[in-house]
Amino acid sequence: MSTPPRAVLAVLGLAAALLLALAPAAPARAEDGSLLVFAAASLKNALDAVDAAYAKASGRKAVASYAASSALAKQIAAGAPADLFISADEDWMDYLAARRLIEPTTRSDLLGNALVLVAPAANHPAPVAIAPGFPLALLLGDGRLAMADPKSVPAGKYGKAALERLGVWATVAGRIAPAANVRAALLLVARGEAPYGIVYRTDAAAEPEVAIVGSFPAASHPPILYPVAVTTASKNPDAARYLAFLRSDAARAAFRAQGFTVLE
Amino acid sequence: MTLALTPEELDAIRLSLRVALWAMACSLPPAVLVALVLARGRFWGKALLDGIVHLPLVLPPVVTGYLLLLLFGRQGPLGRFFAEAFGLVFAFRWTGAALAAAIMGFPLMVRAIRLSLEAVDRRLEAAAATLGAGALGVFATVTLPLMLPGIIAGLILSFARSFGEFGATITFVSNIPGETETLPLAIYAFTQAPGGDPMALRLTLVSVAVSMSALLAAELLARRLARKLAPA
Repeated sequence: MSTPPRAVLAVLGLAAALLLALAPAAPARAEDGSLLVFAAASLKNALDAVDAAYAKASGRKAVASYAASSALAKQIAAGAPADLFISADEDWMDYLAARRLIEPTTRSDLLGNALVLVAPAANHPAPVAIAPGFPLALLLGDGRLAMADPKSVPAGKYGKAALERLGVWATVAGRIAPAANVRAALLLVARGEAPYGIVYRTDAAAEPEVAIVGSFPAASHPPILYPVAVTTASKNPDAARYLAFLRSDAARAAFRAQGFTVLE
Repeated sequence: MTLALTPEELDAIRLSLRVALWAMACSLPPAVLVALVLARGRFWGKALLDGIVHLPLVLPPVVTGYLLLLLFGRQGPLGRFFAEAFGLVFAFRWTGAALAAAIMGFPLMVRAIRLSLEAVDRRLEAAAATLGAGALGVFATVTLPLMLPGIIAGLILSFARSFGEFGATITFVSNIPGETETLPLAIYAFTQAPGGDPMALRLTLVSVAVSMSALLAAELLARRLARKLAPA
């Protein structure tokens, strides 16, 4: 292979120089100063509505990134430029607080939720009485119980805690399909791939292809709380305004419409 | 940080090797066939076939995983067919992980085989034919041996791609320890759990070691074969 002609090398060199010159020296942040909110996957529908209301009310944009709270917390710990973090449990907010990555004075509990057992709506499933020792293993048959990964994702942790408290975990521990987040678990049930799944009540309400067959008693798991806080890395002056907006009437209405409990 | 591997980590490594080897072995015959068709065939729809074969290379892996879920899941048309006809279930089983890995590695295997196929001197095949060999005989004794460097390269590329497969696997068969939790999924799970970093690092080292060995082996084999097959 002959060496490339000088012209080609010159063009490549120029392109490389341009790219290096244009590369931002500071870590990437959301364009045009809009706010970057890292939010638990279960908040997708509700927070999208809240962000739309925020844009209309203040003329400023808020952009949300949804994933499992575990994944988001790890990303923030690795330097992700989020302005706010809304977690689905206290553990992952504590994780960031211990590393001084959130402003403790801005932390508060925003929402509550409930845990439900769902099944594919197409199966016209019978209701299940969720009580200590209920026959979940029998109901699963040769299928698997879809839930968010019980080792790290809040929805999975709540689910495992509830099943343990009800004395059923040991019978189904080997029959779980651990999904990357609660919405992925919801998908498995909606597609009929898993006969049952454990998701939040708000997720079941958002997905017409699943039916709620039972609710886990609130006493069977730690209270499901969504704390919110501003990150210490945030340099966006709108963060405080957005935080206040989350508690406004418009935002509360949007959260309630999806089935979340709004905490005072 | 100790280098000793926990049982869960060993499980993940064993499962990854099993999944990648099966994926590699089972995609070889169809890959050779498709490479033959694409290299030598002349028919309407050839560009379409080429496009479909290369789709997993271009689509986001999560999309490929979702498509696999739709087609090969328990409710999917192909999933139901395989379960009823052969008793082969893909959903939430290592077979599903192997299928996802095979599909993701398929375009790489086809490309490598097709390249070496196109380099085969057709006059040698013609000579064999004039000496009395049938089409199958020509293929087996002349074409296949000459294609071998490409087939080896294709196998190694497919193995390496299968070994690193994540997006399609976690979307299609989720992350079940001992069944579908391959090395990349295990590393991901450890990075998500607080205090899982030492385990993630250990598995990353194993991953790098296996991939490097595979690539070095491929390079050595390819060179040896090229020397053997070079004109005297």
